[in-house]
Amino acid sequence: MIMTPMKLCCMLATIAFALPAQQAAAAPAAWSQPAAALADQIAAILGPGQAHLTLRNLSKLPADDIPAIRRLLEDDLKARGVQASGAESANTVRITLSENLRGRLWVAEVMEGSETRVAMVRVDAAGMEQQVPASGLVLRTQTLLTTTGPVLAALETADALVAVEPEEIVLFTRAADGWKEQARAAIGQRKGLTQDPRSAIVFTHDGQGFEASLAGMACAGSLQPPQSGAPWPMHCRASDDPWPLAPSQTSPTSGDSNATLRAFYNAARNYFTGVLNPSAGVDLPPFFTAALLPRPDGAGLLLGGINGKVQLIETSALKPVTGTRDWGSDFAALHSGCGAGTQIIASGSGEALSDSLRAYEIPALEAIPSSTPLTVDGAVTALWTAPDGKSVLAVVRHAAAQNQADTYEVDRVTASCN
Amino acid sequence: MLRQAAISILVAALALSASARTRPHYGGTLRVEVEGDPWQRPGGMARRLVMDGLTTLDPDGAVQPALAIRWASENDDHRWQFWLRPGVRFQNDAALTGAAVEASLTASCGASCPWSVVHAVGASLVFTGDSPMPNLPALLADDLYLIGTPTDSPAGLTGTGPFALSGDLGNHNHARVLANENCWRGRPFLDAIEITGSRSVRDQWLDLSVGRADLVEVPAEQMRQARDQRLTVIASPPVSLLALSLSDSGALANPNLRAALALAVDRTALSNVIFQKQGEITASLLPASLTGYAFLFPADRDLDKAHELRGGVTPPTLTLAAEGGAAMQLAAQRIALNLHDAGFSVQVVNAAAPQHIDLTLRRFTLESSQPQAGMESILRAAGLAVSIRAQTPAELYKTEREIVDAHLLIPLLYLPRAFAVSGRVRDLRLGADGTPLLDGVSLSDVQPDAAP
Repeated sequence: MIMTPMKLCCMLATIAFALPAQQAAAAPAAWSQPAAALADQIAAILGPGQAHLTLRNLSKLPADDIPAIRRLLEDDLKARGVQASGAESANTVRITLSENLRGRLWVAEVMEGSETRVAMVRVDAAGMEQQVPASGLVLRTQTLLTTTGPVLAALETADALVAVEPEEIVLFTRAADGWKEQARAAIGQRKGLTQDPRSAIVFTHDGQGFEASLAGMACAGSLQPPQSGAPWPMHCRASDDPWPLAPSQTSPTSGDSNATLRAFYNAARNYFTGVLNPSAGVDLPPFFTAALLPRPDGAGLLLGGINGKVQLIETSALKPVTGTRDWGSDFAALHSGCGAGTQIIASGSGEALSDSLRAYEIPALEAIPSSTPLTVDGAVTALWTAPDGKSVLAVVRHAAAQNQADTYEVDRVTASCN
Repeated sequence: MLRQAAISILVAALALSASARTRPHYGGTLRVEVEGDPWQRPGGMARRLVMDGLTTLDPDGAVQPALAIRWASENDDHRWQFWLRPGVRFQNDAALTGAAVEASLTASCGASCPWSVVHAVGASLVFTGDSPMPNLPALLADDLYLIGTPTDSPAGLTGTGPFALSGDLGNHNHARVLANENCWRGRPFLDAIEITGSRSVRDQWLDLSVGRADLVEVPAEQMRQARDQRLTVIASPPVSLLALSLSDSGALANPNLRAALALAVDRTALSNVIFQKQGEITASLLPASLTGYAFLFPADRDLDKAHELRGGVTPPTLTLAAEGGAAMQLAAQRIALNLHDAGFSVQVVNAAAPQHIDLTLRRFTLESSQPQAGMESILRAAGLAVSIRAQTPAELYKTEREIVDAHLLIPLLYLPRAFAVSGRVRDLRLGADGTPLLDGVSLSDVQPDAAP
């Protein structure tokens, strides 16, 4: 699995403005090397002389680039003794700028009399980046990491980022151009993965390491990169221990400010069983997601049940929350300081064509939108509150173009007051 | 262009359906109907649900570990070793062992395996070949090499896949598979899948419309009709190669006659009339999307050159058979007319007829998006065992050019595979070969399964 630390890029969500999608076309200079390589092959076939040169574009190269490529090819051929001439020449070189799923391919059909010989060079595909529009309490997303494999959970410090993948845990450290992979260790599940794998990751009490929970497994490791040659101190064991639900300062169920609220996870499925530690004092249904929410009487725990219903536990009672019909299965608390101070960031329900994130406040038992939806160019596959509570981290899966791998982004979602 | 756009729209719709925002629920039974046999290969949908291969192809066609977790080649790809995933058990709780895999593989392909010898070495398998096997990891993902072992159970066979056969396969017209709770890949979301075979497309669509089926087939030539009927259609990229397989004996031992046949076929008419413009016309074995050089193989009909190549020779009446349903038979009739225009006398015969067949119209599935492996799998399916060793596009083109110029296989069209689904089906994706990946499917209307 290849991890590609990506340069941070910010996207600002506003109501009025939608940033146009931008595609970075490769600079003509990028064509110098393949043009020279193709000219080499053509000259090797033809030898010095004249040839009628034709060029057609069957690829997605912008038409604006074609004249420059033609000039490059003509110059390169000339430098190798092949002079571009008119159609009366006995030799014809028909160049096709083509492409396949892996990149561009330039093909030259060199015709001498009745004989045709073929030369071709592979051209690296130019990178293309897309920005997505958003609108907006103003939600912002900032891409921390882009990968070609699923990320289940991640934990970020000033200098390190730990990403939990289905079968490995990866440590990145900050570099000038983004996160750089430093170590990777297998989780070593003995049982098979579930179809919808999930994970949670938190700091250890001393803040020097992390604890990650996965279905049937618990892992602990250091946030420090290994010394050269030494293995990364990261260990996993089979475990049915409950998972940390949130970076809890105060447990809504025990009132203990030092307790981390935990929940037992059904390792054969994709949800929590409904059993909390410490106990909630009421029977809870199985749930996909939970988030701590400050309430007038202390803290509440918002649960996203596997039946699609959202309920709030407060004062040892389970109460239904309305206004959540548009919510997906994932939400997390964000302590923005705006409005009521804490919002719930919820993913979309899938009823719309694209996924979205939106902030809600729950002053009573109804979720009230406090931002406009922030469109996400993909599907939100995981969402959790960052350790400082001031941001939410989201994993977004970008559906691949035909015959290409999906990509995953770890995004930081923050809100600014409007 | 419009055709490609239409397919792109369908593929985009597929991607949308795969972008679920609510987490899937466990439970429920998916009802599938197909024209063919649910179990027999190629294309038996139940096989891949029950059995796994040593490798698998992801939806993008890239080789991924399955029952083997890693592999390595030696001796210039003449020897390969595949290490088995530890802890995997068959559905009858027997451990997956090297010996069991060896027995399964040996039984799968007999004397026509890509390797000469396979034997278990501890928890690994060693393949050796008389010729190099550069594409073996991709070839082992083919459903011919799925790993199963016989049992005394009514089903008679057990595998390691996400579903287990329930009861006897009977007359192969119906297969019911149940979730394998202990599958190494994870328990599937669905509790069961029922696959009904030998069902005409018309009946499949009827059952879908009245809620008796959740997933039915849409032949390429009926994709337009399915859209007109507002069925929710998901389609693969063009992965099914329609090609004429030619005998190299009898009259067609003459390569010029074979070349003349290749020039006489009117691919455009086949595409427009029979297959309703749903495919890509091709004269190359691999589609343009994989190589970028398909335009180097002209697909235009050239009757003058066909006559010239025939050189006044009038061969005896050629026999032409088509494998498949009504559209293939119609296509065969049309090809016979095309060939008649070039001076050939062609009789369309039954593929099962016990007589020498000169030309066979067949479909081949492009199983890998790795060009070398894709080409080799097509050639093997066509009975042309060629090991593709090309490393660069130019080498691959040269290899493909030599094969196409032998005119033992005349590529005609690349067609998509398509299915229609009911509104309760979630997260259906198609594999690299266009097969529905049912192990990731869930149903939107099931009551949440709260019990592990």
